[in-house]
Amino acid sequence: MIKQAVILAAGEGQRLRPFTVSKPKAMLAIAGRPMLSYVIEALAKNGIHQIILVVGYRKEQVLDWLSLSEPSGVEITCVTQANQLGSAHALAQVEPFVNDDFLVLPGDKLIEAATIAMFINDGPQAVMAKRVDNPGRYGVLTTEKGILKAITEKPKDPPSNIINTSVYAFSKKVFEFIGPELDIPDVLNKMISEGVVISTCETEGVWLDAVYPWDILSLNSVVLQRLGTSLGGQVEALVAIKGPVSIGKGTIIRSNSYLAGPLVIGENCDIGPNVCLAAATSIGNNVAISPFSEITNSVIGHDVTIGSGCLVQDSVIDQGCNIRGHLIACSGNAEVDIGDERHRVTVGAMLGEGCTLDYGVVAEPGVILGNHSQIQAMRLLKGRLPDRSLVL
Amino acid sequence: MCGIVGYIGERQAQPILLNCLSHLEYRGYDSCGIAVSDGAVKVYKDAVRVAELKKTMPDFDGSLGIGHTRWATHGEPSRVNAHPHGDCQNEVSVVHNGIINNFLKLKQQLTSEGHTFVSETDSEVIPHLIEKYYAGDLEKAVERALADIEGSYAIIVMGYGENTLIAARKDSPLVIALGDRENYIASDVPAVLDYTSRVIYLEDGDIATVTAGGVSFRNGGKTAKRSEHKVDWSVEEARKGGYEHYMLKEIHEQPRVIRDTLGDWLPNGEPFEDLKKMSEDGTRTLLMLGCGTSYHAALVGKYIAQEMLGLPVRAELASEFNYHGRALPETLAVTLTQSGETADVLMAIKRLKDVGCRVMAITNVNGSSVSRLADHTIITRAGPEISVAATKSFLAQLMVLYWLMMSCARVEPKRQAEMVLQLRHMASRVTQVLDSEAEIAERAGYLAKYNDVFFIGRGINYPVALEGALKLKEISYVHAEGFAAGELKHGPFALLGREKPVIAVLTQDATHQTMLTSIREVKARGSPLMVLASEGDDSADSLADFTITVPRVDPLFSPVVNTVTLQLLAYHIARKRGCPVDFPKNLAKSVTVE
Repeated sequence: MIKQAVILAAGEGQRLRPFTVSKPKAMLAIAGRPMLSYVIEALAKNGIHQIILVVGYRKEQVLDWLSLSEPSGVEITCVTQANQLGSAHALAQVEPFVNDDFLVLPGDKLIEAATIAMFINDGPQAVMAKRVDNPGRYGVLTTEKGILKAITEKPKDPPSNIINTSVYAFSKKVFEFIGPELDIPDVLNKMISEGVVISTCETEGVWLDAVYPWDILSLNSVVLQRLGTSLGGQVEALVAIKGPVSIGKGTIIRSNSYLAGPLVIGENCDIGPNVCLAAATSIGNNVAISPFSEITNSVIGHDVTIGSGCLVQDSVIDQGCNIRGHLIACSGNAEVDIGDERHRVTVGAMLGEGCTLDYGVVAEPGVILGNHSQIQAMRLLKGRLPDRSLVL
Repeated sequence: MCGIVGYIGERQAQPILLNCLSHLEYRGYDSCGIAVSDGAVKVYKDAVRVAELKKTMPDFDGSLGIGHTRWATHGEPSRVNAHPHGDCQNEVSVVHNGIINNFLKLKQQLTSEGHTFVSETDSEVIPHLIEKYYAGDLEKAVERALADIEGSYAIIVMGYGENTLIAARKDSPLVIALGDRENYIASDVPAVLDYTSRVIYLEDGDIATVTAGGVSFRNGGKTAKRSEHKVDWSVEEARKGGYEHYMLKEIHEQPRVIRDTLGDWLPNGEPFEDLKKMSEDGTRTLLMLGCGTSYHAALVGKYIAQEMLGLPVRAELASEFNYHGRALPETLAVTLTQSGETADVLMAIKRLKDVGCRVMAITNVNGSSVSRLADHTIITRAGPEISVAATKSFLAQLMVLYWLMMSCARVEPKRQAEMVLQLRHMASRVTQVLDSEAEIAERAGYLAKYNDVFFIGRGINYPVALEGALKLKEISYVHAEGFAAGELKHGPFALLGREKPVIAVLTQDATHQTMLTSIREVKARGSPLMVLASEGDDSADSLADFTITVPRVDPLFSPVVNTVTLQLLAYHIARKRGCPVDFPKNLAKSVTVE
């Protein structure tokens, strides 16, 4: 039985900018908790308590979260990967900390306990596989009777729809194969060519990846589907609550608000009166939402204030934004460019952290606004704006 | 958060327990206690730190014992409220970390059944429940007692002359550490690393029976198996949560401190009546007192109070105040002390009380001496601060002052609403400063070679300049001084020159123009110049050798972001100079002598 796990949480996730400018991808909040927390929970529930966490890019964010939340039932050792050269390089950093067979997991994929429950019984060397609809985004596996024959990274013409989940079981032998290779799939291909047998195990469980900013919304929605109701705050008279709604302590929901779950609302928020929150929305801690605002299927970060009369659909608003009022961020079909890729998606607005939007701003579907931007009243936002934009 | 420990073996338990507890003080240190058994249970506890307990306690004979160190957020730390707690017959002794939600109901029921409670704690119901269910088997009694409890707990139980410790956890941390013919139990691994590195992690719902020779587990009424792990990190590493120093860890805790403070106040913050009344009749004066960093908080508080309440305010050093003549004005005094034990502040409070002043205390340690003297005490939400250089406790004091003054403010409702809005963004603005740490560290590299550094500010940022200088001198041993910018020409100018860098705190308020004038004057003397400027303010760019951009906030809140920036600057200068950041020479965390 495997006792140790290595979680790789050093990566940035460049295509998720602006949300990953100040935090690693593993710290993106999904349903009010960082992605990393779900991986740790999945391991603890499967009886794996010794965790080596590789941190690097913006590691303070991970350390601060760890010391604040003290994840229960696990012992976590942090190892720093100073330069994020690749997953195999990250793995090489943990060699002194590994005693025996161990698991390797990505800290920035959404994984549940059931996802890895079968896999951890397989001994090393093994790769966890998953069937997906869009294999071309990932490393695609070529297998024969459950034995791995090759991994092809992001093939144009995928040989199968079975992909590498980046969850592995290794013995200490793997360290002998890490040479100049920077990524684990390259190491696996080398192992195969030198005759090492690597088995594959397909999982039926949840395994989701956020590659682009709008993926945050679909991950959030999946996690919220499993939510139960817990009312920690103060709910005034004439508030309607439908479906599962979780309200943090110190939060006040004022009269005539309508909450249609699944919803997660953090601690110390001040919401309403007359606010409508609809599925599947997550709201961070210390958020204020003023009367007559409607928020649907969105993710709102900590310390955000949303003024009166805002309409927010399928949108992500990162922490510390100051939305003065009458923001229109409707969902719609959009073409969004990420690097040199063009995507057609149905989405609202994606606002980076610390932005100030004065009254009456209209954001076109698919807008990506950089962190700490300032937008004057009555402006129309479209396309992609860099960090610290000033729209006057 | 509290810390608990247990020992069972062949050695004397008392010194081992005290040592383990001292490693858990980062979880809290307002009171502590231990119980040792040699067949009969002996308990010693008090509202003091572990080192103090060690000095005063008698030697208990016994190789079986438990201990607890407490950080009270509700209910006063006192000898009776300190753990361990016992039952009516003092046959069983319990330490507990966690919160029992249904304790009132349980306490009522147990009282009606004839049990006598001596403390105000929720924890005391546990030993009484065990007493109620004990029928010759301690483990069974604990299991039965825990079934009645709703809430979170990590507990260690000993009693009835049994040579075992019973440990259990639910939603609070607990580990068992294995030695050679001896075993340990603790809230966290660092407590036991002096003795062993072999640990077993308990899972939620586990009940462990620990003897000197072994451990067995039950969960949900069935026997369970738990595997052993080897720990290969050091005590210091573990407690610093991945950071090189406590100071840096504590700087990074500040967004949490801000959110916690606001969490206490924002939903239903009641104005402080004494202050409210004063701001309404507006005739009397407010006195603010502190020493060191707390004095700087008092100075910031003076500016906030003047702006929000329109009151005449005096801010004074407590250590100087005590030598003022007899004529104390009739006034309300707000006193600030992180530890609650600062001798000069305590003395000042006694003098003020003698002449009939109302005294409010703002402190980080619940139940400290200051809270027993003051008429009203507000506990800041910094949590235990280990680093000698105060960082998060200063910010926590500022947050309390902002809220205190705002809740009694005499300003337009629109301005008030805008202030509350800004406070909600404050944690994120501080996070933004922390995110620019690499840039600040680079600037620190440039400053590290100088042996004299001056800080200047005006208005509400004058105390920030003082605090920036204090941080730098106390941890990096650099000669650093803070000045009100307008005072430069009354003397300090004589000191300026190419080897004397100046750090100017520039804010976009009424002081902006005159501050720029001071900056020009400094530049003319050839001093290397670094300017802290709000985002979007490029007015000093052409003058400064370096600028550090801080997030734009309302000028009234600018001390928050500016202070955090200067904390990071001081930290990185000290680090580059190779100084022992957390424990500077000649300094103590709290000054309990005059």
